[in-house]
Amino acid sequence: MSFQLDHIDYVHANGFTALTDLSLQAKSGEQIALIGPSGAGKTTLLSLIGTRLKPTHGRLTVLNQTVDADNKRALRHLRSQIASIYQQPPLPGRQRVVTAVLAGRLGIWPAWKSLASLLYPMDIDGAANVLSKVHLSEKLFDCCDQLSGGQLQRVGMARVLYQQGALVLADEPVSALDPGLALAMIQLLQQDARERKATLISSLHSVDIALSCFERIVGLRDGQIAFDLPTQQVTPQMLDHLYANESTAHHSTTDRYTTVNRTPVPHTA
Amino acid sequence: MTNKHNHRDPLAAKRLSLCLAVILLVWPLLIAAEFNPRALIDPANLKVIGHFLWAFLPPQTSTDFLIELFNATMQTIAIATVGMVFAMLIGIPLAYKISSVCRTYLGMQLLPRGLLTLLRGIPELVWALAFVRILGLGPAAGILALGLTYGGMLAKVYAEILESVDQAPANALIAAGSPRPLAMLYGLLPLASKELISYTVYRWECALRASVVMGFVGAGGLGQLMDQAMKMLNGGEACSVLIVFLGLVFLADKLSAWLRDFTATTTSSNAFAFNRLHMVLAFMLWILVLASFHLLQTDFSSLFSFEALQTMARFASGFFPADMSSAWLTKISYGIWQTLAISVLGTVCAAVAGLLFALCKPRLIVNFFLNVCRSVPEMVWATITVLAVGLGPFAGTLALALHTTGVLGRLFAQAIDNAPIQPINALKQAGATSSLAFLYAALPLIAPQLLAYTLYRWEMNIRMAAILGFVGAGGLGQLLYVSMSLMNYAQASSVIVAMLFLSILVDQASAWLRRFMQA
Repeated sequence: MSFQLDHIDYVHANGFTALTDLSLQAKSGEQIALIGPSGAGKTTLLSLIGTRLKPTHGRLTVLNQTVDADNKRALRHLRSQIASIYQQPPLPGRQRVVTAVLAGRLGIWPAWKSLASLLYPMDIDGAANVLSKVHLSEKLFDCCDQLSGGQLQRVGMARVLYQQGALVLADEPVSALDPGLALAMIQLLQQDARERKATLISSLHSVDIALSCFERIVGLRDGQIAFDLPTQQVTPQMLDHLYANESTAHHSTTDRYTTVNRTPVPHTA
Repeated sequence: MTNKHNHRDPLAAKRLSLCLAVILLVWPLLIAAEFNPRALIDPANLKVIGHFLWAFLPPQTSTDFLIELFNATMQTIAIATVGMVFAMLIGIPLAYKISSVCRTYLGMQLLPRGLLTLLRGIPELVWALAFVRILGLGPAAGILALGLTYGGMLAKVYAEILESVDQAPANALIAAGSPRPLAMLYGLLPLASKELISYTVYRWECALRASVVMGFVGAGGLGQLMDQAMKMLNGGEACSVLIVFLGLVFLADKLSAWLRDFTATTTSSNAFAFNRLHMVLAFMLWILVLASFHLLQTDFSSLFSFEALQTMARFASGFFPADMSSAWLTKISYGIWQTLAISVLGTVCAAVAGLLFALCKPRLIVNFFLNVCRSVPEMVWATITVLAVGLGPFAGTLALALHTTGVLGRLFAQAIDNAPIQPINALKQAGATSSLAFLYAALPLIAPQLLAYTLYRWEMNIRMAAILGFVGAGGLGQLLYVSMSLMNYAQASSVIVAMLFLSILVDQASAWLRRFMQA
């Protein structure tokens, strides 16, 4: 089991209930798309799986371990197996791309190697390799503050590819990319996960990409699971219902999905 | 990906040469500062400092001593206050003279500008040492020294403040035919008053600390008491003086912060209109000044008597001509080099230690420690480090490092707290330890700020390193102190010139650096 949530409640510090009685599990190597309107609790759910947040109630197992925040060493070891992609790439502006990518393995490298890498990047080839996959080879030695938002998002992705976690959590990983590149990058994440038998769960703004690339779709609404089905069984009615009366109603649901493609597209190798 | 296995870091050569340059520079500095951490654990030294520190407990609390301590505390406050009055008497006219406000043409102002450089460039401790020679031991020397140095500082900053506010109202008055002093009073003062008061209060707080330090050369107050206790290795007394001093600094800090806050929050509409609270404050200030003059009972008119002036003239004439023999100049050059070495190494050690402490937890304990480091002046630290590692520049380096660690640690902690948290959390999320996450995700962002703080502190430390030698901690100060003690005023004179030269150099360099960092 890659992760398992049993009857999880999560209440934010300000009293807002983000998730109620939520149960979800994923087998190793599964690939799941997480969709739903803004405020449904997608980011909270990913943060819980990523051990960033502690459930208010319920049981959480990640990579076959119950999360123990007091055992710092074990928690660090667990976390080094979890690779996260964020909506806003958390990269310090004045750092070079190569260092930002190599930082993905700080939880794995011995301390001396991490320290030395600040002076001379310890695995330039490794960084160059993952950067070429996200089409940023030429930015290897540039500073992060010279990159565009979309390029930064891809550097964040390169860091995750470099980390090689057994569990990959992606929160709107392609929100800053144009549609063509977005599809290519999702397929890249999927291919990488498949090759390493890693589990991938990604929240997605674009229902199109979710339906065309993923085999399992989880619809989240008001902190609860609306549906959790193989892609073939997801109907347009379900999607309409999922996004109905969304508080940010100014963009219509057709903005999210134009054609519902029931069969996953063949993966480009 | 044509050259997949041929990646080289383009910065490698630059970083390597930078490292080499640092080593090549630091090595001679280490030698000049006689850097020798082993002196810290030398058994003979340990015995001296151990005995001394052991005697700290319990602090001396006999009634006689407490009365003496109380008197000395009052004297310190009085010296600072009267010194500030003198400083303002010098500073205000000088600021008026050199400021470009309300002028169509500002001449070279060679004389006042030269006077300003002279006043600011010679540390108050040097003035104090000289005045103690003329006037004898006691507070008068401290007051004059404070008045001269702080007069120069006030003049410079007052002029800058006046130049920084909106000039239009004053210029309108000038255009309407108002004389310059009145145009400044009516057009500039209402705009600048808050800042002027705030800076003056801040300087008073500095004067309090300075008056303690000047006691070490015999200029009265708590410092003189501390000096006596140190010379007799009386730990209990030293501890009591130190506790009172720290309390005094703490109170002055709070009072000055409150006063500045108070003047800053007064709305501009009534900035200059006196309300009742202003009246009370002004009255208390007046009482403080009167009481200070009364307490010190120094007959300042005797200062300007014919005989006094004659003595001063005779004393001053001993300084001319300065000793410019090549042997002495070589010694001075080495003194400058040693002073620089002390300042660089002290600042670097402090920056490293400050960063470590800023990252340490629990904060409460660390902050207390940093506050103690910061509140004890460099000169007082030096008297203690001299006991710990013996006379010489290494003691000075340690003293600077201790005080500066307190200052930088606090500033660094603030900078770290203000750094964006997401990049750090992202790395912790991927299993990195807190310290590595800090190095990778926060340091690149805040490094320029930390560097700016460190450089600013280094600038102050150069000036400080030049006088730490007064208690035997190496550098130019030691040369000056020795030549003054041997009454070799011609030699002392050239050391003072060297200090002045160093101060001007630092001024220029820091102005250049500021422009460079802003660009």
